[in-house]
Amino acid sequence: MTATRNELMVSAIASTLRDEELVFVGVGTSGRAFTLAVGIPLVAARLAQLAHAPALDIYWGNLLSPDLSESPTVLTQDAITRWPGAYAPADVGLKVDMLTRGEFDVSFESAAQVDRHGNLNITRIGTDALPTVRLVGTLAQPEHLAFVKRPIIVCDLSSRVFVESVDYITSFGFGDGTRTRASLGYDGGGPSLVITDHAVFDFGPEGRMRLRTLHPGVTVDDVQARMSFEPEIAEDLEQTPAPSADALRLIREQIDPSGALLRV
Amino acid sequence: MRCKLTSVAEAASLVQSGDRLAVGGSLLRRQPLALCRELVRREVRDLTLVSWASSLATDLLVGAGCVTAWEGIYVGMWWQGGAPNFRRAVETGHIDVTDYSESYLTARFRAAAMGLPFLPVRPIRGTTWTERDDIRTITDPYTGVELHTVPAATTASTILHAYAGDEFGNIVWPVHRDSDDIDLLMGAAANTLVVSVERVIPHSEVVRQPNLTYIPHTKVAAVCEAPFGAYPSSCDTVYDEDQAELAAWAQAGRADEDFAAYLERTISGPTDHAAYLDQVGRERLAALRVEATEGTR
Repeated sequence: MTATRNELMVSAIASTLRDEELVFVGVGTSGRAFTLAVGIPLVAARLAQLAHAPALDIYWGNLLSPDLSESPTVLTQDAITRWPGAYAPADVGLKVDMLTRGEFDVSFESAAQVDRHGNLNITRIGTDALPTVRLVGTLAQPEHLAFVKRPIIVCDLSSRVFVESVDYITSFGFGDGTRTRASLGYDGGGPSLVITDHAVFDFGPEGRMRLRTLHPGVTVDDVQARMSFEPEIAEDLEQTPAPSADALRLIREQIDPSGALLRV
Repeated sequence: MRCKLTSVAEAASLVQSGDRLAVGGSLLRRQPLALCRELVRREVRDLTLVSWASSLATDLLVGAGCVTAWEGIYVGMWWQGGAPNFRRAVETGHIDVTDYSESYLTARFRAAAMGLPFLPVRPIRGTTWTERDDIRTITDPYTGVELHTVPAATTASTILHAYAGDEFGNIVWPVHRDSDDIDLLMGAAANTLVVSVERVIPHSEVVRQPNLTYIPHTKVAAVCEAPFGAYPSSCDTVYDEDQAELAAWAQAGRADEDFAAYLERTISGPTDHAAYLDQVGRERLAALRVEATEGTR
Protein backbone atom coordinates (compact mmCIF):
# COMPACT_ATOMS: atom_id res chain seq x y z
CA MET A 1 0.00 0.00 0.00
CA THR A 2 1.35 3.42 -0.94
CA ALA A 3 0.52 6.27 1.39
CA THR A 4 -1.15 9.36 0.01
CA ARG A 5 0.23 12.82 0.75
CA ASN A 6 -2.43 13.31 3.44
CA GLU A 7 -1.64 9.94 5.05
CA LEU A 8 2.06 10.86 5.20
CA MET A 9 1.12 14.08 6.98
CA VAL A 10 -1.15 12.17 9.37
CA SER A 11 1.54 9.66 10.18
CA ALA A 12 4.22 12.34 10.72
CA ILE A 13 1.95 14.00 13.28
CA ALA A 14 0.67 10.85 14.98
CA SER A 15 4.18 9.62 15.73
CA THR A 16 4.82 12.73 17.87
CA LEU A 17 1.68 12.40 20.05
CA ARG A 18 2.13 10.67 23.40
CA ASP A 19 -0.12 8.84 25.80
CA GLU A 20 -2.14 10.99 28.23
CA GLU A 21 -1.40 14.20 26.34
CA LEU A 22 -4.13 16.75 25.62
CA VAL A 23 -4.37 17.99 22.03
CA PHE A 24 -6.57 20.72 20.54
CA VAL A 25 -8.21 20.37 17.11
CA GLY A 26 -10.38 23.09 15.55
CA VAL A 27 -13.76 22.67 13.84
CA GLY A 28 -13.97 25.08 10.93
CA THR A 29 -13.68 25.99 7.27
CA SER A 30 -14.16 23.84 4.18
CA GLY A 31 -12.37 22.19 1.28
CA ARG A 32 -8.59 21.83 1.49
CA ALA A 33 -8.47 24.24 4.43
CA PHE A 34 -10.76 21.84 6.33
CA THR A 35 -8.49 18.89 5.57
CA LEU A 36 -5.47 20.81 6.88
CA ALA A 37 -7.10 22.36 9.96
CA VAL A 38 -9.44 19.56 11.01
CA GLY A 39 -9.18 16.40 8.92
CA ILE A 40 -5.47 15.64 9.15
CA PRO A 41 -5.14 16.58 12.86
CA LEU A 42 -8.24 14.61 13.84
CA VAL A 43 -7.18 11.48 11.96
CA ALA A 44 -3.65 11.80 13.37
CA ALA A 45 -4.89 12.09 16.96
CA ARG A 46 -7.26 9.15 16.48
CA LEU A 47 -4.47 7.09 14.88
CA ALA A 48 -2.23 7.82 17.86
CA GLN A 49 -5.02 6.70 20.22
CA LEU A 50 -5.51 3.44 18.36
CA ALA A 51 -1.82 2.72 17.70
CA HIS A 52 0.20 3.78 20.74
CA ALA A 53 -1.48 6.43 22.93
CA PRO A 54 -4.82 5.03 24.16
CA ALA A 55 -5.23 7.74 26.82
CA LEU A 56 -4.47 10.65 24.47
CA ASP A 57 -7.20 13.24 24.99
CA ILE A 58 -8.64 15.31 22.15
CA TYR A 59 -10.37 18.67 22.61
CA TRP A 60 -12.33 19.20 19.38
CA GLY A 61 -13.78 22.69 19.08
CA ASN A 62 -15.59 23.01 22.39
CA LEU A 63 -15.92 19.27 22.98
CA LEU A 64 -13.47 17.31 25.14
CA SER A 65 -12.99 13.61 24.36
CA PRO A 66 -15.38 13.37 21.39
CA ASP A 67 -16.54 9.88 20.52
CA LEU A 68 -14.59 9.17 17.33
CA SER A 69 -15.59 5.52 17.00
CA GLU A 70 -17.57 6.67 13.97
CA SER A 71 -16.05 9.06 11.48
CA PRO A 72 -17.85 12.36 10.87
CA THR A 73 -19.34 12.29 7.37
CA VAL A 74 -21.51 15.41 7.26
CA LEU A 75 -20.69 18.24 9.64
CA THR A 76 -23.84 20.32 9.76
CA GLN A 77 -24.44 22.45 12.85
CA ASP A 78 -26.80 19.81 14.18
CA ALA A 79 -24.25 17.02 13.76
CA ILE A 80 -21.73 19.08 15.76
CA THR A 81 -24.33 19.98 18.41
CA ARG A 82 -25.16 16.33 18.99
CA TRP A 83 -21.66 14.87 18.77
CA PRO A 84 -21.13 12.71 21.89
CA GLY A 85 -18.27 13.70 24.16
CA ALA A 86 -17.15 14.01 27.79
CA TYR A 87 -17.32 17.78 28.37
CA ALA A 88 -18.50 20.97 26.71
CA PRO A 89 -18.29 23.95 29.08
CA ALA A 90 -21.32 26.24 29.30
CA ASP A 91 -18.92 29.18 29.11
CA VAL A 92 -16.24 28.73 26.45
CA GLY A 93 -14.06 31.03 28.57
CA LEU A 94 -13.32 27.96 30.68
CA LYS A 95 -11.63 26.34 27.68
CA VAL A 96 -9.67 29.54 27.10
CA ASP A 97 -8.54 29.33 30.74
CA MET A 98 -7.22 25.81 30.10
CA LEU A 99 -5.16 27.30 27.27
CA THR A 100 -3.67 30.18 29.23
CA ARG A 101 -2.90 27.88 32.17
CA GLY A 102 -0.79 25.78 29.81
CA GLU A 103 -2.89 22.62 30.07
CA PHE A 104 -2.65 21.73 26.35
CA ASP A 105 0.31 19.75 25.03
CA VAL A 106 -0.31 20.03 21.29
CA SER A 107 -2.42 22.24 19.00
CA PHE A 108 -2.74 22.47 15.22
CA GLU A 109 -2.37 25.70 13.29
CA SER A 110 -3.16 26.89 9.79
CA ALA A 111 -2.30 30.36 8.55
CA ALA A 112 -2.35 32.59 5.48
CA GLN A 113 1.31 33.41 6.16
CA VAL A 114 4.02 31.50 8.05
CA ASP A 115 7.49 32.99 8.29
CA ARG A 116 11.03 31.78 8.83
CA HIS A 117 10.66 32.12 12.58
CA GLY A 118 7.29 30.40 12.83
CA ASN A 119 5.28 33.57 13.36
CA LEU A 120 1.74 33.20 11.99
CA ASN A 121 -0.67 35.62 10.32
CA ILE A 122 -4.43 35.07 10.18
CA THR A 123 -5.35 38.77 10.55
CA ARG A 124 -4.47 40.77 7.45
CA ILE A 125 -2.22 40.98 4.38
CA GLY A 126 -0.79 44.45 3.67
CA THR A 127 -0.47 47.36 6.07
CA ASP A 128 -2.67 48.42 8.97
CA ALA A 129 -3.48 51.68 7.17
CA LEU A 130 -4.89 49.84 4.18
CA PRO A 131 -4.92 46.07 4.33
CA THR A 132 -5.09 44.50 0.89
CA VAL A 133 -6.76 41.41 2.31
CA ARG A 134 -8.63 41.27 5.60
CA LEU A 135 -8.46 37.78 7.08
CA VAL A 136 -10.50 36.25 9.92
CA GLY A 137 -8.91 37.93 12.97
CA THR A 138 -7.15 36.06 15.77
CA LEU A 139 -9.36 33.41 17.43
CA ALA A 140 -7.23 31.64 20.07
CA GLN A 141 -4.23 31.10 17.84
CA PRO A 142 -2.13 33.66 19.76
CA GLU A 143 -2.78 31.64 22.95
CA HIS A 144 -1.81 28.43 21.18
CA LEU A 145 1.60 29.72 20.18
CA ALA A 146 2.10 31.42 23.54
CA PHE A 147 0.99 28.71 25.97
CA VAL A 148 0.66 25.29 24.25
CA LYS A 149 3.73 23.12 24.72
CA ARG A 150 4.21 21.86 21.12
CA PRO A 151 1.98 23.57 18.54
CA ILE A 152 2.14 21.94 15.09
CA ILE A 153 1.69 24.05 11.94
CA VAL A 154 -0.15 22.20 9.15
CA CYS A 155 0.00 24.03 5.79
CA ASP A 156 0.54 23.20 2.13
CA LEU A 157 3.90 24.43 0.92
CA SER A 158 3.51 27.61 -1.17
CA SER A 159 5.70 30.68 -1.66
CA ARG A 160 2.67 32.88 -0.91
CA VAL A 161 2.26 31.24 2.50
CA PHE A 162 5.91 30.61 3.47
CA VAL A 163 7.27 34.17 3.53
CA GLU A 164 10.41 35.75 4.99
CA SER A 165 8.39 37.89 7.44
CA VAL A 166 4.64 37.83 8.02
CA ASP A 167 2.81 41.13 7.32
CA TYR A 168 1.15 40.92 10.74
CA ILE A 169 2.17 38.81 13.73
CA THR A 170 -1.13 37.34 14.92
CA SER A 171 0.72 34.63 16.81
CA PHE A 172 4.29 34.85 18.01
CA GLY A 173 6.54 31.92 17.13
CA PHE A 174 10.24 32.63 17.56
CA GLY A 175 10.20 36.37 16.75
CA ASP A 176 12.85 37.70 14.43
CA GLY A 177 16.05 36.43 16.00
CA THR A 178 16.41 39.50 18.25
CA ARG A 179 13.18 39.21 20.21
CA THR A 180 13.38 35.65 21.48
CA ARG A 181 10.74 33.76 23.41
CA ALA A 182 12.87 33.82 26.54
CA SER A 183 13.43 37.59 26.31
CA LEU A 184 9.64 38.11 26.11
CA GLY A 185 9.04 35.95 29.16
CA TYR A 186 7.64 32.84 27.49
CA ASP A 187 8.23 29.58 29.32
CA GLY A 188 9.16 27.26 26.45
CA GLY A 189 6.53 26.46 23.84
CA GLY A 190 6.49 27.85 20.33
CA PRO A 191 5.86 25.91 17.12
CA SER A 192 7.44 22.46 17.21
CA LEU A 193 6.86 21.18 13.68
CA VAL A 194 5.64 22.34 10.29
CA ILE A 195 3.87 19.53 8.46
CA THR A 196 3.38 20.23 4.73
CA ASP A 197 2.33 18.33 1.61
CA HIS A 198 5.99 18.14 0.48
CA ALA A 199 8.15 18.00 3.59
CA VAL A 200 8.37 18.27 7.35
CA PHE A 201 10.25 21.06 9.14
CA ASP A 202 11.21 21.77 12.72
CA PHE A 203 12.94 24.81 14.21
CA GLY A 204 16.67 25.03 14.95
CA PRO A 205 18.17 26.33 18.20
CA GLU A 206 17.97 29.91 16.86
CA GLY A 207 14.27 29.49 16.13
CA ARG A 208 14.69 29.28 12.36
CA MET A 209 12.68 26.86 10.23
CA ARG A 210 14.71 23.76 9.35
CA LEU A 211 13.95 21.16 6.68
CA ARG A 212 13.81 17.85 8.52
CA THR A 213 12.35 15.23 6.14
CA LEU A 214 11.29 15.13 2.49
CA HIS A 215 8.21 13.21 1.39
CA PRO A 216 9.00 10.37 -1.06
CA GLY A 217 9.89 11.69 -4.53
CA VAL A 218 10.38 15.28 -3.33
CA THR A 219 13.76 17.07 -3.70
CA VAL A 220 15.25 19.99 -1.80
CA ASP A 221 14.84 22.06 -4.98
CA ASP A 222 11.12 21.19 -5.11
CA VAL A 223 10.77 22.44 -1.55
CA GLN A 224 12.80 25.60 -2.12
CA ALA A 225 10.76 26.45 -5.22
CA ARG A 226 7.67 26.57 -3.00
CA MET A 227 9.11 28.88 -0.33
CA SER A 228 9.94 32.61 -0.30
CA PHE A 229 12.89 32.08 2.05
CA GLU A 230 15.66 29.53 2.34
CA PRO A 231 15.08 27.23 5.28
CA GLU A 232 17.95 25.70 7.21
CA ILE A 233 18.53 22.11 6.19
CA ALA A 234 19.10 19.40 8.77
CA GLU A 235 22.46 17.65 8.46
CA ASP A 236 20.70 14.32 8.73
CA LEU A 237 17.98 15.18 6.20
CA GLU A 238 15.91 12.06 5.66
CA GLN A 239 12.79 10.85 3.93
CA THR A 240 9.49 11.24 5.76
CA PRO A 241 8.80 7.77 7.20
CA ALA A 242 6.00 5.97 5.38
CA PRO A 243 3.10 4.91 7.58
CA SER A 244 3.04 1.20 8.37
CA ALA A 245 0.54 -1.10 6.68
CA ASP A 246 -1.27 -1.32 10.02
CA ALA A 247 -1.52 2.47 10.25
CA LEU A 248 -2.84 2.74 6.69
CA ARG A 249 -5.42 0.05 7.38
CA LEU A 250 -6.56 1.88 10.52
CA ILE A 251 -6.86 5.19 8.65
CA ARG A 252 -8.73 3.75 5.66
CA GLU A 253 -10.91 1.11 7.28
CA GLN A 254 -11.54 2.32 10.80
CA ILE A 255 -10.87 6.04 11.27
CA ASP A 256 -12.01 7.64 8.02
CA PRO A 257 -13.70 4.99 5.84
CA SER A 258 -15.93 7.58 4.15
CA GLY A 259 -12.95 9.77 3.29
CA ALA A 260 -14.74 12.82 4.70
CA LEU A 261 -11.66 13.91 6.64
CA LEU A 262 -8.89 13.29 4.11
CA ARG A 263 -10.65 13.37 0.72
CA VAL A 264 -9.45 16.79 -0.45
CA MET B 1 -40.53 40.74 38.07
CA ARG B 2 -42.53 42.64 35.50
CA CYS B 3 -43.49 41.86 31.94
CA LYS B 4 -40.71 42.85 29.50
CA LEU B 5 -42.21 41.23 26.43
CA THR B 6 -42.25 43.56 23.42
CA SER B 7 -42.34 43.35 19.64
CA VAL B 8 -39.06 42.77 17.82
CA ALA B 9 -39.09 46.37 16.61
CA GLU B 10 -39.71 47.78 20.10
CA ALA B 11 -36.95 45.65 21.57
CA ALA B 12 -34.49 46.73 18.90
CA SER B 13 -35.39 50.37 19.49
CA LEU B 14 -33.39 50.24 22.72
CA VAL B 15 -30.23 50.22 20.59
CA GLN B 16 -29.25 53.75 19.61
CA SER B 17 -26.99 55.26 16.98
CA GLY B 18 -23.49 55.71 18.37
CA ASP B 19 -23.80 52.78 20.79
CA ARG B 20 -21.00 50.38 21.57
CA LEU B 21 -23.07 47.25 20.92
CA ALA B 22 -22.19 43.71 21.98
CA VAL B 23 -23.50 41.20 19.44
CA GLY B 24 -24.01 37.61 20.56
CA GLY B 25 -23.87 34.22 18.90
CA SER B 26 -20.85 32.43 17.51
CA LEU B 27 -19.91 31.48 13.97
CA LEU B 28 -23.11 30.45 12.19
CA ARG B 29 -25.07 29.94 15.42
CA ARG B 30 -27.63 32.27 16.99
CA GLN B 31 -26.73 35.42 15.12
CA PRO B 32 -29.33 37.95 16.38
CA LEU B 33 -30.52 38.75 12.88
CA ALA B 34 -34.19 39.58 13.50
CA LEU B 35 -32.96 42.34 15.83
CA CYS B 36 -30.24 43.41 13.37
CA ARG B 37 -32.76 43.75 10.54
CA GLU B 38 -34.74 46.18 12.69
CA LEU B 39 -31.59 48.22 13.27
CA VAL B 40 -31.09 48.34 9.51
CA ARG B 41 -34.75 49.36 8.94
CA ARG B 42 -34.29 52.20 11.45
CA GLU B 43 -31.03 53.27 9.79
CA VAL B 44 -29.07 53.16 13.04
CA ARG B 45 -25.59 54.58 12.48
CA ASP B 46 -22.09 54.82 14.00
CA LEU B 47 -22.21 51.58 15.98
CA THR B 48 -19.06 50.11 17.48
CA LEU B 49 -19.62 46.35 17.52
CA VAL B 50 -18.00 44.04 20.03
CA SER B 51 -18.25 40.34 19.20
CA TRP B 52 -16.95 36.86 19.82
CA ALA B 53 -16.72 34.85 16.56
CA SER B 54 -19.26 36.81 14.51
CA SER B 55 -20.59 36.11 11.05
CA LEU B 56 -23.87 37.33 9.56
CA ALA B 57 -24.81 39.88 12.23
CA THR B 58 -21.60 41.85 11.81
CA ASP B 59 -21.59 41.41 8.03
CA LEU B 60 -25.20 42.63 7.78
CA LEU B 61 -24.75 45.70 9.98
CA VAL B 62 -21.51 46.62 8.22
CA GLY B 63 -23.04 46.03 4.77
CA ALA B 64 -25.98 48.28 5.68
CA GLY B 65 -23.71 51.13 6.76
CA CYS B 66 -24.59 50.95 10.48
CA VAL B 67 -21.03 50.40 11.74
CA THR B 68 -17.92 52.53 12.11
CA ALA B 69 -15.79 50.18 14.23
CA TRP B 70 -15.52 46.55 15.31
CA GLU B 71 -13.68 44.86 18.20
CA GLY B 72 -13.42 41.10 18.61
CA ILE B 73 -11.81 37.76 17.84
CA TYR B 74 -13.20 36.81 14.41
CA VAL B 75 -15.53 37.84 11.62
CA GLY B 76 -16.16 35.34 8.84
CA MET B 77 -18.75 33.03 7.39
CA TRP B 78 -17.13 29.82 8.66
CA TRP B 79 -17.81 27.03 6.12
CA GLN B 80 -18.70 29.72 3.59
CA GLY B 81 -15.39 31.63 3.73
CA GLY B 82 -14.92 35.33 4.47
CA ALA B 83 -17.62 37.80 5.51
CA PRO B 84 -17.84 39.76 2.25
CA ASN B 85 -19.19 43.14 3.39
CA PHE B 86 -16.98 43.24 6.48
CA ARG B 87 -13.90 42.37 4.43
CA ARG B 88 -14.57 45.03 1.84
CA ALA B 89 -15.30 47.70 4.46
CA VAL B 90 -12.01 46.96 6.22
CA GLU B 91 -10.04 46.77 2.98
CA THR B 92 -11.41 50.14 1.80
CA GLY B 93 -10.82 51.82 5.17
CA HIS B 94 -14.53 52.35 5.93
CA ILE B 95 -14.43 50.76 9.39
CA ASP B 96 -11.80 50.48 12.10
CA VAL B 97 -10.97 47.07 13.50
CA THR B 98 -9.40 46.23 16.86
CA ASP B 99 -8.38 42.59 17.14
CA TYR B 100 -8.34 40.75 20.46
CA SER B 101 -7.50 37.09 20.99
CA GLU B 102 -9.88 34.89 22.96
CA SER B 103 -8.30 35.26 26.42
CA TYR B 104 -8.04 39.04 26.03
CA LEU B 105 -11.67 39.40 24.91
CA THR B 106 -13.09 37.13 27.62
CA ALA B 107 -11.13 39.20 30.16
CA ARG B 108 -12.73 42.36 28.76
CA PHE B 109 -16.24 40.92 29.26
CA ARG B 110 -15.36 39.39 32.63
CA ALA B 111 -14.14 42.81 33.82
CA ALA B 112 -17.43 44.38 32.73
CA ALA B 113 -19.39 41.57 34.40
CA MET B 114 -17.44 42.06 37.64
CA GLY B 115 -17.88 45.82 37.65
CA LEU B 116 -14.14 46.33 37.23
CA PRO B 117 -12.52 48.90 34.91
CA PHE B 118 -9.93 46.41 33.64
CA LEU B 119 -8.45 42.99 34.24
CA PRO B 120 -4.93 41.62 33.95
CA VAL B 121 -4.25 38.79 31.50
CA ARG B 122 -1.33 36.44 30.92
CA PRO B 123 0.67 38.49 28.42
CA ILE B 124 0.97 37.37 24.80
CA ARG B 125 3.99 39.46 23.87
CA GLY B 126 5.62 39.99 20.52
CA THR B 127 2.45 40.10 18.42
CA THR B 128 1.29 43.04 16.31
CA TRP B 129 -2.09 43.31 18.02
CA THR B 130 -0.75 43.53 21.57
CA GLU B 131 1.46 46.49 20.65
CA ARG B 132 -1.43 48.87 21.01
CA ASP B 133 -2.35 51.66 23.41
CA ASP B 134 -5.39 49.93 24.93
CA ILE B 135 -3.24 47.00 26.02
CA ARG B 136 -1.07 48.12 28.93
CA THR B 137 1.10 46.53 31.57
CA ILE B 138 0.70 46.16 35.31
CA THR B 139 3.00 44.70 37.92
CA ASP B 140 1.57 41.94 40.10
CA PRO B 141 1.88 43.49 43.61
CA TYR B 142 2.40 40.01 45.10
CA THR B 143 5.11 38.59 42.86
CA GLY B 144 6.43 41.52 40.83
CA VAL B 145 5.58 39.75 37.57
CA GLU B 146 4.49 42.01 34.69
CA LEU B 147 1.10 41.31 33.13
CA HIS B 148 -0.96 42.87 30.36
CA THR B 149 -4.25 44.60 31.11
CA VAL B 150 -7.35 45.04 28.97
CA PRO B 151 -10.17 47.54 29.47
CA ALA B 152 -13.63 46.29 30.44
CA ALA B 153 -15.96 45.70 27.47
CA THR B 154 -18.32 48.42 28.61
CA THR B 155 -21.22 48.53 26.19
CA ALA B 156 -24.28 50.74 25.86
CA SER B 157 -26.36 47.84 24.57
CA THR B 158 -26.20 44.10 23.95
CA ILE B 159 -28.26 41.97 21.55
CA LEU B 160 -28.56 38.19 21.84
CA HIS B 161 -30.70 35.56 20.17
CA ALA B 162 -31.73 32.70 22.45
CA TYR B 163 -33.68 29.47 22.55
CA ALA B 164 -36.58 30.38 24.86
CA GLY B 165 -37.62 32.76 27.60
CA ASP B 166 -40.59 33.84 29.64
CA GLU B 167 -42.41 37.19 29.53
CA PHE B 168 -40.29 38.51 32.40
CA GLY B 169 -37.06 37.96 30.49
CA ASN B 170 -35.75 34.79 32.11
CA ILE B 171 -33.73 33.31 29.25
CA VAL B 172 -33.28 29.53 29.22
CA TRP B 173 -31.16 27.14 27.25
CA PRO B 174 -31.85 23.48 26.52
CA VAL B 175 -29.93 20.79 28.38
CA HIS B 176 -28.19 19.78 25.18
CA ARG B 177 -26.84 22.57 22.96
CA ASP B 178 -23.73 23.91 21.26
CA SER B 179 -22.11 25.99 23.99
CA ASP B 180 -19.21 27.40 21.96
CA ASP B 181 -20.04 31.09 22.52
CA ILE B 182 -19.90 33.75 25.26
CA ASP B 183 -23.58 34.78 25.37
CA LEU B 184 -23.69 33.88 29.07
CA LEU B 185 -20.80 36.25 29.77
CA MET B 186 -22.16 38.98 27.47
CA GLY B 187 -25.44 38.81 29.40
CA ALA B 188 -23.66 39.18 32.72
CA ALA B 189 -21.64 42.13 31.37
CA ALA B 190 -24.57 43.92 29.71
CA ASN B 191 -26.07 47.29 30.53
CA THR B 192 -29.09 47.52 28.22
CA LEU B 193 -29.72 43.88 27.29
CA VAL B 194 -32.12 42.99 24.47
CA VAL B 195 -32.91 39.32 23.82
CA SER B 196 -34.93 37.72 21.06
CA VAL B 197 -36.08 34.14 21.70
CA GLU B 198 -37.27 31.37 19.43
CA ARG B 199 -40.35 30.96 21.61
CA VAL B 200 -41.86 32.53 24.67
CA ILE B 201 -42.64 29.89 27.29
CA PRO B 202 -44.81 30.08 30.43
CA HIS B 203 -43.04 31.19 33.59
CA SER B 204 -44.28 27.94 35.18
CA GLU B 205 -41.95 26.04 32.81
CA VAL B 206 -38.98 28.17 33.82
CA VAL B 207 -39.41 27.69 37.56
CA ARG B 208 -39.26 23.91 37.28
CA GLN B 209 -35.58 24.03 36.18
CA PRO B 210 -34.11 27.38 37.26
CA ASN B 211 -30.58 26.14 36.59
CA LEU B 212 -31.39 26.27 32.86
CA THR B 213 -31.91 30.03 33.11
CA TYR B 214 -28.61 31.44 31.87
CA ILE B 215 -29.73 35.07 31.91
CA PRO B 216 -32.04 36.22 34.73
CA HIS B 217 -34.87 38.68 34.18
CA THR B 218 -33.09 41.27 36.34
CA LYS B 219 -30.50 41.71 33.57
CA VAL B 220 -32.96 41.97 30.68
CA ALA B 221 -34.36 45.26 29.35
CA ALA B 222 -36.61 43.71 26.70
CA VAL B 223 -37.44 40.23 25.45
CA CYS B 224 -39.22 39.53 22.17
CA GLU B 225 -40.38 36.44 20.34
CA ALA B 226 -38.67 35.91 16.99
CA PRO B 227 -39.05 32.39 15.63
CA PHE B 228 -36.21 31.73 13.17
CA GLY B 229 -34.72 34.91 14.60
CA ALA B 230 -31.22 33.73 13.69
CA TYR B 231 -32.13 32.76 10.11
CA PRO B 232 -30.26 32.20 7.80
CA SER B 233 -27.78 31.20 10.50
CA SER B 234 -28.71 28.32 12.81
CA CYS B 235 -30.19 28.05 16.26
CA ASP B 236 -28.62 24.85 17.53
CA THR B 237 -31.16 22.19 18.52
CA VAL B 238 -33.93 24.14 16.72
CA TYR B 239 -32.86 24.60 13.06
CA ASP B 240 -29.76 24.39 10.89
CA GLU B 241 -28.31 27.18 8.80
CA ASP B 242 -29.71 27.65 5.28
CA GLN B 243 -26.79 26.78 3.00
CA ALA B 244 -28.45 28.16 -0.13
CA GLU B 245 -29.24 31.48 1.52
CA LEU B 246 -25.70 31.76 2.89
CA ALA B 247 -24.39 31.23 -0.63
CA ALA B 248 -26.78 33.91 -1.95
CA TRP B 249 -25.59 36.28 0.80
CA ALA B 250 -21.94 35.58 -0.01
CA GLN B 251 -22.62 36.24 -3.69
CA ALA B 252 -24.59 39.47 -3.07
CA GLY B 253 -21.94 40.66 -0.63
CA ARG B 254 -19.28 40.78 -3.33
CA ALA B 255 -20.35 44.27 -4.48
CA ASP B 256 -21.96 47.22 -2.68
CA GLU B 257 -24.77 47.60 -5.22
CA ASP B 258 -25.61 43.89 -5.15
CA PHE B 259 -25.80 43.86 -1.37
CA ALA B 260 -27.89 47.03 -1.41
CA ALA B 261 -30.34 45.17 -3.65
CA TYR B 262 -30.25 42.20 -1.26
CA LEU B 263 -31.07 44.52 1.65
CA GLU B 264 -33.83 46.19 -0.35
CA ARG B 265 -35.44 42.82 -1.07
CA THR B 266 -35.01 41.19 2.36
CA ILE B 267 -35.27 44.14 4.76
CA SER B 268 -36.93 47.15 3.15
CA GLY B 269 -39.50 44.96 1.39
CA PRO B 270 -40.95 43.02 4.34
CA THR B 271 -42.24 45.42 7.01
CA ASP B 272 -41.42 43.20 10.00
CA HIS B 273 -39.96 39.85 11.04
CA ALA B 274 -43.15 37.89 10.31
CA ALA B 275 -43.35 39.38 6.82
CA TYR B 276 -39.71 38.45 6.27
CA LEU B 277 -40.37 34.84 7.26
CA ASP B 278 -43.32 34.79 4.85
CA GLN B 279 -41.04 36.05 2.12
CA VAL B 280 -38.47 33.34 2.85
CA GLY B 281 -41.27 30.76 2.79
CA ARG B 282 -42.65 28.76 5.69
CA GLU B 283 -41.98 25.42 3.97
CA ARG B 284 -38.37 26.34 3.32
CA LEU B 285 -37.97 27.24 7.00
CA ALA B 286 -39.70 24.08 8.20
CA ALA B 287 -37.24 21.99 6.20
CA LEU B 288 -34.38 23.42 8.29
CA ARG B 289 -35.83 22.20 11.58
CA VAL B 290 -33.83 19.61 13.48
CA GLU B 291 -35.33 17.08 15.80
CA ALA B 292 -34.69 17.92 19.43
CA THR B 293 -33.61 14.51 20.63
CA GLU B 294 -31.07 14.04 23.36
CA GLY B 295 -27.63 12.57 22.82
CA THR B 296 -28.16 11.03 19.40
CA ARG B 297 -26.22 11.53 16.23
